[in-house]
Amino acid sequence: MGTLTLDGLSRRYATTTAVERVDLDVAQGEFVALLGPSGCGKTTTLRMVAGFVPPSSGRILIAGRDVTRAPPHGRDTGMVFQSYALFPHMTVGENVAFGLEMRKVARAERDARVREALRLARLEGLAGRLPRQLSGGQQQRVALARALVVNPAVFLLDEPLSNLDAKLRAEVRIEIRALQQRLGLTTLFVTHDQEEALTMADRLVVMERGRVRQIGTAEALYERPADAFVAGFIGRCNLLRGTPEAPGRFRTPGGALLPCLPQQAHHGQVLALRPERIAVATAGDGLAARLVAVTYLGAQTEYHLDLAGTRLLASAPTPAEGDPRRALAPGDAVLAHWDPAEARLLPAEPGDLPDDPT
Amino acid sequence: MAALLLPATLLVLGLLVAPMAMLFRISLNRYDAAQMMQEALTAENYLRALADPYYREVLATTLGVALACTLLALLIGFPPAYWLARMESRWKSLAVILTLFPLLVGNVVRAAGWMALLGRDGAINAALLGAGLIAEPWPMLYTTGAVIAGILAVVAPYMILTLSAVIEGIPRGVEEAAANLGAGPLTAFRRVVLPLALPGVAAGCVLVFILCMNAYATPVLLGGPQFKMMAPAVYDQFVRGTNWPFGAALAFLLLVVTLVLTLIGSTLLAGRSRSR
Amino acid sequence: MRLTRRSTLAAALATGLPLGFPGLADAQASGQVVVGTWGGDYGDLLASNIDKPILAPKGIEVLQDVGPQDPRKTKLIAERASRRGSMDVCCLSDVDMFTLAQQGVFEPIEEGRIPNLAKAIPSLKRPYSAPHIYSAKVILYNPAKVTTAPQSYADLWDPKYRGRVGLVDILHLQNMEAASLAAGGTEHDYEPGKKKLMELRSLDVKIYPSNEALAAALKSEEVWLTIMWLARGFMWKKSGIPVEHAVPSEGATSICFEMSVPKNARNRAGALAYLDAALDARAQTAFADRMGYAPTVTDAQLPPELARQISLTPEQQAKLRTPDYEYIAKNQVALIDFWNKEFKR
Repeated sequence: MGTLTLDGLSRRYATTTAVERVDLDVAQGEFVALLGPSGCGKTTTLRMVAGFVPPSSGRILIAGRDVTRAPPHGRDTGMVFQSYALFPHMTVGENVAFGLEMRKVARAERDARVREALRLARLEGLAGRLPRQLSGGQQQRVALARALVVNPAVFLLDEPLSNLDAKLRAEVRIEIRALQQRLGLTTLFVTHDQEEALTMADRLVVMERGRVRQIGTAEALYERPADAFVAGFIGRCNLLRGTPEAPGRFRTPGGALLPCLPQQAHHGQVLALRPERIAVATAGDGLAARLVAVTYLGAQTEYHLDLAGTRLLASAPTPAEGDPRRALAPGDAVLAHWDPAEARLLPAEPGDLPDDPT
Repeated sequence: MAALLLPATLLVLGLLVAPMAMLFRISLNRYDAAQMMQEALTAENYLRALADPYYREVLATTLGVALACTLLALLIGFPPAYWLARMESRWKSLAVILTLFPLLVGNVVRAAGWMALLGRDGAINAALLGAGLIAEPWPMLYTTGAVIAGILAVVAPYMILTLSAVIEGIPRGVEEAAANLGAGPLTAFRRVVLPLALPGVAAGCVLVFILCMNAYATPVLLGGPQFKMMAPAVYDQFVRGTNWPFGAALAFLLLVVTLVLTLIGSTLLAGRSRSR
Repeated sequence: MRLTRRSTLAAALATGLPLGFPGLADAQASGQVVVGTWGGDYGDLLASNIDKPILAPKGIEVLQDVGPQDPRKTKLIAERASRRGSMDVCCLSDVDMFTLAQQGVFEPIEEGRIPNLAKAIPSLKRPYSAPHIYSAKVILYNPAKVTTAPQSYADLWDPKYRGRVGLVDILHLQNMEAASLAAGGTEHDYEPGKKKLMELRSLDVKIYPSNEALAAALKSEEVWLTIMWLARGFMWKKSGIPVEHAVPSEGATSICFEMSVPKNARNRAGALAYLDAALDARAQTAFADRMGYAPTVTDAQLPPELARQISLTPEQQAKLRTPDYEYIAKNQVALIDFWNKEFKR
């Protein structure tokens, strides 16, 4: 096991740039997720680490060794492919033993390690099966066992859960995380599913159009997004274009003046406000708004508000029976209230907001 | 649907089976100089063909050339087949057409090209003589080598396209997985790509072997008059000797030998690729 | 009364007119005639000298079924039992024509229905075909290498020409006949030629798969001597291949390209008109200049210079041999076996 360092890693094609100057340090035993929409460069980055895509510039260090020019078979990474890529003509046992064979591990030790890996992956008794005789979840665990049995310096996961059904996915998520922590695996994980990234990773790398937008823990990304894209991508967020007026005041195009965290205007032109941080009330303090729609989701209820021409989404635990808010209907006048510290001004690039033309 | 399929199937069967049945019937007849053929039911044509050392030698030559060409086609065909299968760019269809290009030219025309290349005054000899590397033209035309080269040029596209279709079905991921687990390119090929490509290898070899066994124009034109393979020998009997019964018997012997060897070969290859 | 073809025929039958009456043959001939022939020069010359100038004005449309001789032969045999064949006229060389005539595939030739046949050289006439063009088998030699012109076939066996004699595979029968004559035998029995050929084999004779391959070898002076048709020698000389011809003292053997009408021809009248047109003196001379074959009719006049190069002198003509078709037909399986299995080995 070892550390992983990406230093200014880029991959350019004739007319496009897939990955632009990515810097990242993954500590020993750390689980880092590369997260972003499709085409953001996360898979290309992972494939550069594995050695399948040669970088245009930059360096890759695994356990301190520069492997930028090393072939895939000389990198000591253990990868789980999205399609699992099991060898269809080999049994489960042969699949798992393959990497040990390549490393010329003696027969007795090889057998012992294969047995142990199969046990860890809860595949006992299936060593003699062919991959096509296994369920999707079992195949996935064979892929895991095959990558882990060789004790790779870095563990690479390329959307390994995307081919599983939702229920199984939640289980495997926990399993992988437990295994990774138990074995202290330095892990790089690619996913487009933010929930997956948030629940599994120590740190997340949010990528967009080849660039890293922000690196941080789940909490840091959610509470302190670096820009409007991250705010919109991690969790749900109201993102409003407008003009910061005085510190702590933000003017919407419709003329409403919204309270926000007092920041310098140069911090950004977009106000970010999480729906669950907006309280909706029928009386008391707050800005007058009109209710456009109410969506009852069981535990939660969502309120679509119109605040002087600006649309805002608020979300709150469904009020108890008898609470006057239970009776709210579209067209009703309500009051919206939030702690100004929850409303942050963020920088934004063209295309960062959902309704921006891209 | 069945009402439509049945007549079509019967038609195909008729078109395939009827001529073969007729050929077989002819092979049991007796040759007669005046009448050409006498109705008979005799195995003498077969016995004569099998007893004659000349035809045993012709069959041996045919088998030797066919096996050599099949093996060589596999060896030289695999790399381009792999390359073609893994090609992703928009040039792929162009590359496929280029592979097929030699087949657009008839065998006779292609052989003429080889003759111009390999002949005593051919391009190769002219170049070698011009460079002073040889003093006398090097005899290349009318040799076994010329026949093998000529047939190879005909069958290589079949091998390449057959292999390529199967290799395309091997996910690139399994090759990457092998590399990721520490296998160098040769090991990955031997342990992963080749075993998975075996069905294609079998199909390509069977196809090419059958084509080689039945080669006609290339052995005649590039092998010269002294070089004999089965198909030209059959033609000689039918057309130059007008001995149809014996020609039909030779044709059937060729068919049976080809069929038996094809079955043996594909069974062996199927065995190697594990019971699936 | 409207005069249709059928009613004319009916009238002719009713009045007991003989069908061989020339005027009637002409009146009947119309429609489409399918001619199975070689392509290339021969086919072109047929089209430009027979089809267009002579037959088209009579309302006969000629369709050429072009291909090599062997498939045409095979087609005739295969169609033998069919009531309606695919060819009305079939062009073949003399040996094959005889072989197929023996199988009874051709209509007997009635001289009265082909007026021009009266002018054909008598020795070329056959009961089953009309002779179209002919040539003679001679020795071709490279005058720069073979300084004394060969006199006889036997000269090819001179050890000083070791490795310099080339033969064509497809002329195996002609080569065997020449070997027989060289051995003092006759065209009626090739047995003496077998031994003679084995001698030539030990003198490193070269065998070529096609006339074109032999021509290339003559041109590159890989070989200096061969046995070939005079017509082809003439054409090769014209194209710059260094050859002269010598008529063997054993006597030259004729080769004749003939035309026949299969029994199952669909348009028999048109076919007979075609044969007649092919023997027209105007049509005959064109083949001499372009292909080197001599006319088969006595009224076709060639320019003297051309005649000297492609015809035989009267003395040579007197010694002209006709292949023994019967012998060949009877023995061709054994002959090809000898050629393939022993000589070519």
